[in-house]
Amino acid sequence: MPNTRDQKIQAEAKRLLQDGVVDVVIGFQKGTLPYKMQPCFISRADEVAKLTLNGLCSNNLAVYLNHWPKGEKTAIIVRGCESRAIQTLVLENRHARENLYLIGVPCIGILDLQKIGQQELQPVLAVQEEGDQVRVTFGNGEKLFKRNEALHDACLHCNHPQPLNADVVIDEAGLFEDGSFDKSYLHAFRNLSAKKRNEVFRAEAERCIRCYACREACPMCYCEECFVNHSRPQWIDSTIAPSGQQGWHIIRAFHQTGRCVSCGACERACPMNIKMTYLTDLLNQDMAAEYGFEAGLDAAAAPPFLTLGEDKGKFTGEQEEDHAN
Amino acid sequence: MPTKWISRKDLKKLPDQWLKQYDVYAPIQNGHELAFQLVKESAQIVWDVPSNPRYPAKSLFLPQSEVLMSYDGILHSVEKVERPKVLFGLHPCDARAIRLLDHALVDEQNPDEYWKSKRQSTIIVSTACISPDESCFCTAVGGSPFNTADSDALIVEVEDEFCVYVLTEKGGVLFSKLPDAEDAQREKVEKLTKKVEAGMPKAFPKKKLHDNLLASFETDFWKEVSQSCLGCGVCTFLCPSCFCFDIADETVRKERVRNWDSCMFRTYSLEASGHNPRPTKMERTRQRVMHKFVYWVDLVGEIGCTGCGRCVKYCPVNIDIRAIAQDALHREFEGMKK
Repeated sequence: MPNTRDQKIQAEAKRLLQDGVVDVVIGFQKGTLPYKMQPCFISRADEVAKLTLNGLCSNNLAVYLNHWPKGEKTAIIVRGCESRAIQTLVLENRHARENLYLIGVPCIGILDLQKIGQQELQPVLAVQEEGDQVRVTFGNGEKLFKRNEALHDACLHCNHPQPLNADVVIDEAGLFEDGSFDKSYLHAFRNLSAKKRNEVFRAEAERCIRCYACREACPMCYCEECFVNHSRPQWIDSTIAPSGQQGWHIIRAFHQTGRCVSCGACERACPMNIKMTYLTDLLNQDMAAEYGFEAGLDAAAAPPFLTLGEDKGKFTGEQEEDHAN
Repeated sequence: MPTKWISRKDLKKLPDQWLKQYDVYAPIQNGHELAFQLVKESAQIVWDVPSNPRYPAKSLFLPQSEVLMSYDGILHSVEKVERPKVLFGLHPCDARAIRLLDHALVDEQNPDEYWKSKRQSTIIVSTACISPDESCFCTAVGGSPFNTADSDALIVEVEDEFCVYVLTEKGGVLFSKLPDAEDAQREKVEKLTKKVEAGMPKAFPKKKLHDNLLASFETDFWKEVSQSCLGCGVCTFLCPSCFCFDIADETVRKERVRNWDSCMFRTYSLEASGHNPRPTKMERTRQRVMHKFVYWVDLVGEIGCTGCGRCVKYCPVNIDIRAIAQDALHREFEGMKK
């Protein structure tokens, strides 16, 4: 069934392609399973009817800009997190903003397949989004979720769901207002003893199968050679053992400090349902406290770690008390 | 080989008896997921598994990380004596994958001893797949949810009772005390088999798919197919028939380890010179599909994909190998025989 959000997106995409403003539009289309959407690349005006945006569009489309021909005029459909990722990539000189046309869409949040039950025990046959409810059909019957209960944690914690610095914003209401971020989960984690925090981290990392879906789904992970692939010297173990698994997760998180836009695409890509955003969210909180910086918010504010000098901001390290017991 | 019959109540007690002599691996619930793991008692086993545990059973024979030897001045080879095992509750698609891997890893002259020892010490008892899910396509690639070809025994649930097809002598040992199935019971199973198979996808025309894909090799088809690929290892790591590995020396631990590798990784085909014969995701995606549908067929005469659906289901961007095959079948590529 066509919905107005999709029709407005399609109309804008059509205009851009017909008028030659861009060569290609990056968006989402229907996938091959009832709970999946696929990223798609539309270069012909007569193909725009494929475009859709709903709660099952789980990727951060900005990831595709990292291997994208630099000169190509490209439109990309962006929600809040995608617009902030692109802002960060532009600041890091990965892309020229003038070659990009951002079609902003106020975000309605992304559904968490784990929460709606895409598990081995309950295969999902259909997902229907009905306003603030989500109807999921399983092999053995239907279940109605409140939308907020079915959303991915990253979306529930999101502070900036509105697209920033977009060239056009689709006139549709989003699900949240900016600034509705619920920080309580981070406080709860910080207040755990060091031992308890370590237990949480270990339990998450030990399920890692080193497939690097988290890295590849992340717009900010664009290194030509990832530290984890470096063999001379070898930075961390290559094996499925705590040393390598924990090494990967903790160093990956640190490389995201002040760069992560908290989209949660890493967690949604993970085939083992490993939680990762609590690490990057903590680091982002430190960046906000120490430098007043949040990734992707300000098109002119260079990331502190690109500008840090003796005369600029100074890390005090006193922000967090250690609750070790 | 005999066909046996057993009630649900009695079947659920059987693994407890096996446990006296064997290590039993079966699907158990591990957090939110199902996983093939060592069972302590029958009660842990999840009996109704509508869809495959995400982490494949190949890991029991080709572990994701396996220590091949250790060294501390002198080399120590790793003890290869394996305890007898029963692998229970996998679907026929997974059993087929393990048999396919024998082709790759058990060369008569030069078998992979690590694989072979685990394989020989294991009895494979599959369960028929009564309710294949949206991502399943075993029938498209030469299998069946009731396939008896690759297991030591196959268990089929019929009306709350179970039919046991004993398929090898190895498998017979586990079920020797059960009564034989009666004709009426066998008929029920055959009916069910036909019913479930009828709802499954039709077989890909193997030869045409093979030829079309070969003809597509140098075309833009692969650019299109791979455009959304992220380049992670989900499809290959969760694939029950992918077997590529890399050997690393873990110098701190003083171990030589064999780790799964993935043709979807940038570094997989990167040569020491810096040259990469598969430089972009286009070549890498092509390799994964060609290996399954062309190279396996050339080498052993069957498709190297068993239709378990894991790559379809867990790909973060929903790249669907079924759709790629269908697409290749319906296109005209230059140089194709008409």
